[in-house]
Amino acid sequence: MKINDYEVPEGLYYTKEHEWVKLEGSSCRIGVSDYAQKSLHEVVFVDLPKVGAKIVRSQSLGSVESVKAVADVFAPISGEITEINVKLVDSPELVNQQPYGDGWIAVVKPSNLEAEIKNLLDARGYADFLKTQIK
Amino acid sequence: MLVSRRTQLYDFHVRNGHMVEFAGFEMPLWYQGIVPECKAVRNSVGIFDVSHMGRVLISGEGSTAFLDYVTTNDVAALEVGRAHYSVMCNEKGGIIDDIVLNRLAEKRYLMVFNAGNREKDLAWLKMKAERFSVEIQHISDEVSMFAVQGPNAQRVLEEICNEDLSQIPRFGGRYVDLDGVKATVTRTGYTGEDGFEVFTWDSPIEKPSRAVTVWNAILDHGKSSHIQPCGLGARDVLRLEAGMCLYGSDITELTTPLQARLSFVVKLTKNEFIGRDALAREKAEGVKKVRVGLKVLEAGIPRAEYDILKDSQVLGKVTSGSFSPTTNQGIAMGYVPREYSKIGENMEIRVRVKNLRAAITSFPFYDTSKYGWQRTQA
Repeated sequence: MKINDYEVPEGLYYTKEHEWVKLEGSSCRIGVSDYAQKSLHEVVFVDLPKVGAKIVRSQSLGSVESVKAVADVFAPISGEITEINVKLVDSPELVNQQPYGDGWIAVVKPSNLEAEIKNLLDARGYADFLKTQIK
Repeated sequence: MLVSRRTQLYDFHVRNGHMVEFAGFEMPLWYQGIVPECKAVRNSVGIFDVSHMGRVLISGEGSTAFLDYVTTNDVAALEVGRAHYSVMCNEKGGIIDDIVLNRLAEKRYLMVFNAGNREKDLAWLKMKAERFSVEIQHISDEVSMFAVQGPNAQRVLEEICNEDLSQIPRFGGRYVDLDGVKATVTRTGYTGEDGFEVFTWDSPIEKPSRAVTVWNAILDHGKSSHIQPCGLGARDVLRLEAGMCLYGSDITELTTPLQARLSFVVKLTKNEFIGRDALAREKAEGVKKVRVGLKVLEAGIPRAEYDILKDSQVLGKVTSGSFSPTTNQGIAMGYVPREYSKIGENMEIRVRVKNLRAAITSFPFYDTSKYGWQRTQA
């Protein structure tokens, strides 16, 4: 669905900090939302976590940065990083071009998904939240 | 209620730009984006509305003596039709503001200062002017100011100008007609590139038609050079790449021009001026901390307030930091103890949870054979 200019694909989970989570079997792929990338405008650097790093829900796992601004990427779920998007090292603009596609940030092996997924918003819930953020 | 102020170009900015509040003004942060706007200025030409800057006319019998007293550079030596960079200091040598002073006539000067210091500077000037025969006229809201910057700036401006702009030297200026409108152009700027600042007279905010005419004419005639309107974001990145200070970040009332490496505008041998004793003392005793440039040697972007370290010891703080679209790396300015300020000295900048390797670098950050005003004269 689309809220103003912002894409909110169905089937993903979201946080109020504008990360998305996609369930892929026993793993979760994560990234930042269309709203997040449009707010930053030109992404020039992504500070990626390391493979093997343990991440804790709501804590920063890295950052997405424009020329003038830094946005933390907060872990939407706890777990271990199993894969990172190394394409972002040379092409951080993928976050702008395909926030839900080639601009993904990492794949996580969740440690407590069943409990933590309740904290995430579905597309409808995130869309409603976005409406409150947009004047 | 605090109402944000606007410039003569407000309608254009709202239609085309991403707006932010800066120093009490509603201004564009960017139009197309900071990166393409920086590239336009380095490679061709960009235009900035800088009408939020403070401007005063200082005239009268005592104007030269007064300006020599309130600023640190040598005003008596400034020729008519020329401008210089300077600072105003307090009695302790701390920087009240950095300015550009244009000598329009023998006893008539145009001082340009920072938007955020409009009220402070005006009050300071008036207070210090008491024993001089001068008139201080605040014209910030009566005269628009644009910066046309980049290697193609002269070519674009010449198309609407009745004068041969190639005759204007760097930091020179003159009265001209631009598309039939009376203006003053000076070969100055805040980007490190060749370019001009354009003052359109008699274009008050309530009646901005002359300012809008000049702005639109420059945009029109710049089309073939792919002129880009540029916002405050590009302005800040370009000045940082050039190694120029931003007041409030890199220089404040707590820093002296000697610490900021602006001693080229401090003329200790001229007559008494405010701050001279303190600056002379600091010079004699040795400057303890100095402003340096830092380039990051790995991926990562330094930001203001981040710590600068050497061997795990915190030596100072970043005062300005950014990604540089021109050099494609993180760059910063900050203050370190003088003994650590040698070019090439290896340092670290703490970026959130990790330390980035960085090296002390001379200004400007870019390759001066490829970028900056000097290459256009080659």
